[in-house]
Amino acid sequence: MNKNLSKESQKFLDNLQIYLVSSGKNERESNEIVEELTDHLRLAESEGKSVQHIIGHSPKDYMEQLAAEMAFDKKAWIKFIVTIILGVFSYTILTRAASGNLSFSLLNVIGLTFIVALLIGAVFMMFKYIAANSLSKTKEYSLYFLYSLFSLLLFIGLILLDQRITTPVVNFSEISTLIIALLTFAFLVAVSFWSKTWIVLIFLAFLVLPDLVLNQMSIDPKTQISLSTTITFGGIAVYLFVVTKRQKKA
Amino acid sequence: MSTTQMLKGIIDGCILAIIHEKEVYGYELAERLEQYGFDSFSEGTIYPLLMRMQKEELVTSTLKKSIAGPKRKYYSLTVKGEQELQQFIVRWESLQKSVNSVLQTKGQKNE
Repeated sequence: MNKNLSKESQKFLDNLQIYLVSSGKNERESNEIVEELTDHLRLAESEGKSVQHIIGHSPKDYMEQLAAEMAFDKKAWIKFIVTIILGVFSYTILTRAASGNLSFSLLNVIGLTFIVALLIGAVFMMFKYIAANSLSKTKEYSLYFLYSLFSLLLFIGLILLDQRITTPVVNFSEISTLIIALLTFAFLVAVSFWSKTWIVLIFLAFLVLPDLVLNQMSIDPKTQISLSTTITFGGIAVYLFVVTKRQKKA
Repeated sequence: MSTTQMLKGIIDGCILAIIHEKEVYGYELAERLEQYGFDSFSEGTIYPLLMRMQKEELVTSTLKKSIAGPKRKYYSLTVKGEQELQQFIVRWESLQKSVNSVLQTKGQKNE
């Protein structure tokens, strides 16, 4: 049996997987149909049939047809959103605790939850759109860029709004800040064990450690901010680069 | 009217009939349909149909290891599926009779 799929088939299968996952379909069901179609396409191509002969002329229509027959996995979806929101709050709590006592305004808490939920929704809509329409790389990256810009604007907007509008604020003492920080850290460690990846803690280290270390040194605050930001994002970028490279080799 | 539109509903019955003959996996089913002359639709169309039939409990699937190949999903009929097939046959026979007699009367007039 010919083991290699044509590029076109492989691309369709990859896109289908992304499309189904971004539509919130059950993961097991999604994997099953992708496997079944991989087998089908492989057999069909070894007999010289074209991809169009199998999936028709519009990959998008075909993906929609398949998705229509599959159930929306509400439980997994909710679990995912809650985990992300808790994750964002954990990072926020720990990075703030690293530079002083915690204080949260009501607007801050509600705004952050809302923005994260909105951004998760948007990211899945974006992936679904890219997968269904098999966009060119240029268009794909432009969309990512717009998305990052959009999320940055939302976060900046929230900070500005928070400065202008006064809502009830909860301030934490040094001890309660420490307790909350430790609990949050324990939560992230637990998540890491549960998901069997260290990525959560590695990101956290890049976000928090530069601040903690630089705080101890007597450098001018402006240099400190730019230094810590550079270390944070540079570190994450290098980490992601190394990980992707390793995955490609495997 | 295109063939695809006419096929809707009928193809379900044919799939049931083919699976009734013998357990099949997706690609086999598509090949059978093609052999019987259904070649106007894309092969992948069978998968959404099979998914729906599974939800309606007309067919079930089991994973079986193929010789020197990947695990394959084999489809077979449930009792409900067999009943549905019998009903389809009855419906199809009466429909076929009606369509044929309409076309025959028309044919005679045209002569």
